[in-house]
Amino acid sequence: MHAQETFYDVMRSHGITRRSFVKFCTLTAAGLGLGHEFAGKIAHALETKPRTPVIWLHGLECTCCTESFIRSGNPLVGDVVLSMLSLDYDDTLMAAAGHQAEEILEQTIEKYDGQYILACEGNPPLNEDGMYCIQGGKPFIEKLRHMADHCKAIIAWGSCASWGCVQAAKPNPTQAVPIHKVIHDKPIIKVPGCPPIAEVMTGVITYMLAFERMPALDRQGRPKMFYGQRLHDKCYRRPHFDAGQFVEKFDDEGARRGYCLYKVGCKGPTTYNACSSIEWNGGLSWPVKSGHGCLGCAEDDFWDKGSFYSPVSDLGVTGNVEHTANKVGGVIAGAAAIGVAAHAAGTVVAKATSKKPTATAEEEIR
Amino acid sequence: MAIDTNTLKYLDNVPGPFYVFELPVRVWHWLHALSISTLIITGYLISSPPPSLHGEASTHFVFGYIRMIHFIAGMVFTVGLLVRFYWAFVGNYHARELFVIPVWRKDFWTGMLHELKYYAFLTRKSSKFVGHNPLAQIAMFFTNVLLGLFMICTGLALYSQGTGAGSWADRMFGWVFIIEPSSQTVRMWHLFGMWIFLTFVIIHIYMAIREDLYSRQNGVGCIISGFRRYRDDGPMGPQ
Amino acid sequence: MAAVTTPNGFELDDSGQRVVVDPICRIEGHLRIEVNLDENNVIRNAVSMGNMWRGLEVILQGRDPRDAWAFTERICGVCTGVHALQSVRAVEDALDIQIPTNANLIRNLMMLAQYTQDHLVHFYHLHALDWVDVVSALSADPKATSELQQAISRWPKSSPAYFSDVQKRLTKFVESGQLGIFANAYWGSPAYKLPPEANLLATTHYLEALDFQKEIIKIHTVFGGRNPHPNWLVGGMPCTIDIDNAGAAGTVSMTWLNMISDIIDQSIAFTDQVYIPDLKAIASFYKDWGFGGGLSSMNVLSYGEFPAHPNEYTNHSFMLPSGAIVDGDLSNVHDVDVRDPTQIQEFVSHSWYEYPDETVGYHPWDGVTEPKFELGPNTLGTKTSIEQIDESAKYSWLKAPRWRGHAMEVGPLARYLVAYARGREDIKEQVDSLLSELGLPITALFSTLGRTAARGLEASWSAHKMREVFDELMTNLKNGDSATANMDKFDPSTWPAEARGVGFGEAPRGALGHWVQIKDTKIDNYQCIVPTTWNASPRDPQGNIGAYEAALLGTPMANAEQPLEILRTIHSFDPCLACSTHVMSHDGKELSSVKVR
Repeated sequence: MHAQETFYDVMRSHGITRRSFVKFCTLTAAGLGLGHEFAGKIAHALETKPRTPVIWLHGLECTCCTESFIRSGNPLVGDVVLSMLSLDYDDTLMAAAGHQAEEILEQTIEKYDGQYILACEGNPPLNEDGMYCIQGGKPFIEKLRHMADHCKAIIAWGSCASWGCVQAAKPNPTQAVPIHKVIHDKPIIKVPGCPPIAEVMTGVITYMLAFERMPALDRQGRPKMFYGQRLHDKCYRRPHFDAGQFVEKFDDEGARRGYCLYKVGCKGPTTYNACSSIEWNGGLSWPVKSGHGCLGCAEDDFWDKGSFYSPVSDLGVTGNVEHTANKVGGVIAGAAAIGVAAHAAGTVVAKATSKKPTATAEEEIR
Repeated sequence: MAIDTNTLKYLDNVPGPFYVFELPVRVWHWLHALSISTLIITGYLISSPPPSLHGEASTHFVFGYIRMIHFIAGMVFTVGLLVRFYWAFVGNYHARELFVIPVWRKDFWTGMLHELKYYAFLTRKSSKFVGHNPLAQIAMFFTNVLLGLFMICTGLALYSQGTGAGSWADRMFGWVFIIEPSSQTVRMWHLFGMWIFLTFVIIHIYMAIREDLYSRQNGVGCIISGFRRYRDDGPMGPQ
Repeated sequence: MAAVTTPNGFELDDSGQRVVVDPICRIEGHLRIEVNLDENNVIRNAVSMGNMWRGLEVILQGRDPRDAWAFTERICGVCTGVHALQSVRAVEDALDIQIPTNANLIRNLMMLAQYTQDHLVHFYHLHALDWVDVVSALSADPKATSELQQAISRWPKSSPAYFSDVQKRLTKFVESGQLGIFANAYWGSPAYKLPPEANLLATTHYLEALDFQKEIIKIHTVFGGRNPHPNWLVGGMPCTIDIDNAGAAGTVSMTWLNMISDIIDQSIAFTDQVYIPDLKAIASFYKDWGFGGGLSSMNVLSYGEFPAHPNEYTNHSFMLPSGAIVDGDLSNVHDVDVRDPTQIQEFVSHSWYEYPDETVGYHPWDGVTEPKFELGPNTLGTKTSIEQIDESAKYSWLKAPRWRGHAMEVGPLARYLVAYARGREDIKEQVDSLLSELGLPITALFSTLGRTAARGLEASWSAHKMREVFDELMTNLKNGDSATANMDKFDPSTWPAEARGVGFGEAPRGALGHWVQIKDTKIDNYQCIVPTTWNASPRDPQGNIGAYEAALLGTPMANAEQPLEILRTIHSFDPCLACSTHVMSHDGKELSSVKVR
């Protein structure tokens, strides 16, 4: 193997001064919410390590994760790909095709068995023997399993790989499943979102490279640093939520005043993601800021919760037909009230007509 | 009470009254009634907020208060149920009715069958009971115990989203999100549980009042005074 | 099969060496191409196989039509937003909802930004490596590169030191032995014609464009909250505009409008000073490589896009007109009616779906789809390990859409041809000036390079149009109109029991239509026909081949082992396979037959 180049070497050769390099490390640390003391560690890591190979697979997906990834502002994706990691396989970006592309997979296994990171965007369908997603004439799931067997850890990019996402929404005709349902013996880091925020994606991956460890994960396998809080917890419209000031419909007076979008269906109160703190596209804005409620795209099964414009969701018991808790519950409670009224009426009638029969009954007993 | 109400069988002709609901049970009942009412009202408002108030956000805290009242009522509900559970151990026989269904007793099932017939107007004969009738006991078990626990677990799990990772609520109830990763779903089932509670409340109040008006024993009065009184001296069984 | 002639006039001969390219990389989704070469390594038969199916239209059934944009937006994350737009248009059409002027302007602005960004990313990151030899850039003279840059453009990043820095970085990268995305490619192939200086220039711009593309789409972030996958709204746009009052800082206000204005200026500068000059420079070295025309000289289709007037989806309003050109007759552009059941039909005789009668096609409002995965008898390999596909049977997850029975090409070139033939001055001027600069006749457009050139011209056109649309938005705001959404019919209780509508327009990759049927406030049927389904279409019952297959024919390969020429032509269409997902039955009953194991 050739002498491996470190991040720092690459940056210096890119004309980046030591000073800018340190600034970059500080920004990265800040981007990760780690504070200045970590900047030194990042700098040290970037100066000394060869680039970690990353294999980026695509299953059933829409490529929004890759598109988001290339929107990263800090660090720039050009720097990530050229200097920080070695993106050895990514069918969306790689120059090679066909068998030349597929050979890279075997070469990587040969050279870096157990050392490379497997990034998976999209998910495998199980129906029709997996042939709803064909790669190289074979089901995608074979490729995924094969590459997972030899990797060090898996990053599940986006809601497809983490949860199933849109193709797994009811009735899930292709039987698409998130990767943790088919890969059981490797650590999996879920980075959900449809897509995830660019800087969250680069943040997760640079964290792993810089600190040589998995980020701390929450119960559901998501990095705590980015998925530890709901959008709601850091939402700048939160004061309006607490005040009871809601947008009643789009473009109304409340919307112009920036009221809370909860009543028009915002799922911020139940969605764990960093949108309200890191924001999108270089910290410019995020859905709630632009005036549309959060769809809850980083959450499991967010497609099957009924209308995106209702604060109450589908109970998910009746397939696609919208049955919100309030509707079903209201019907049940209403039926109970009517039933009670009818029963009361029945009781009165029974009582009124019971004088005689009771007497008869008493006679019968005698 | 000298008579062991535990062993009372149908057709035993015992005049009563019996002391059924001890003071802590009665206090719990009314506190519980209050907390459930509050939870239902505030819970509904959380799912479907009232019309917006205009003006500066800093001068209002309407939704905040609605949620705060909901949380306080929820705590009262939770602690109440825990205390009530404790009382099942130290209280009288009837204090256990909520938690222990005597499924092994034949007369429990015959009694329930009769109650079903009675409420379906299939028979006009009614029974007397010391504590809950079998049907009521089952309803109490499912709503006040099972549904109550469900609401506590889902409610505090949702509460833990606000208190944050590592908080007591998160450590104690975060497991809910392992069973159901989508907190929006948990939220909806919690909301649905509210409607079941409301349904129970409607039927419960109706039954209690109906008991007072038409049955052979007292209803609402029993949970106020604690005493079960009968209107006739006939046997306990269906008459 | 020996040699046959297809009804649309192409000769297919599958007797020679078979070459399989799977996966085709640098595209969206999963595509396989198989070709047969004759003894001179010229492609004589081509097979395009769509490798994925997600069933989104099945999933949409029974859902709230106001939500459909979010589902369909996830059809594609590369051309993000284009499906969402057609979806809200379809629902607005069905429910007769009129959107406000601002909403129309914002949508146009977002789509124009999408065109500019998508074309830019396509050219540099998905397509350029078919023409540009990155490794050759290492031997370039930075000074000569600087001179080249200054000769073709006034782009300020042109100093020898700048190119030298990039070159050093590349050298170090290559010497590290970890070639990453550039590994195992076709560097040094005789098919690459650029001198080292041009290679270094283009590679440098590959990196610059990668940095810049993320700026253009900030227009989406302002109006839609994020990108990829910004938010849309049936009835208008979800963003509110307030330029005067207390809430102004939290809505689309002067600061953001200023930012958008800056982004537009930068986009114009980048497309005009980097993209277009690069395109011309690269094209001038490949002038002799005139392959890949395929259907473009015969049948092209455009639905039209960018309504200048809100709610008016006609050629009177479209900035890029609709129309169909058949048999290369530019003098007679046919009108296209997406509602006419005899015009647009889909066939499945060679697709992994089942019709009761597969000789007929269905209009999307009557579409029947039932997945049926089966391989032809001449397939080599097994069901789950296909070595060679049998194109005489079913062979793709894509259906075969046809316009009045014709296989059509869609995309920037199709749009430009239709606009040119319709006599649109702005387009004619652009095209004529490029052709005269390169000294090429108009027929040069009917090629792989023509497709790539049209895309570049359109990126520039879009960037300039953004300025016009933005100025209109400012004028409208100045006139006191700040409405962005019409919510009169947002509540489902105001809807008729049954309704159907169509949203149609042009995605960056070509003609895109969404057909929706609404029943009792829920989606009863949803169908999309997307650009890649037209272009990558398999054969139809008559044997007509689609645009990809047609474009590959007759292309000589420098080396059968290195599919560079195939990649060039296929990439020139900018494939998007996730888009081409299909399915939905008219009444939804077929749903139950979808086997879920």
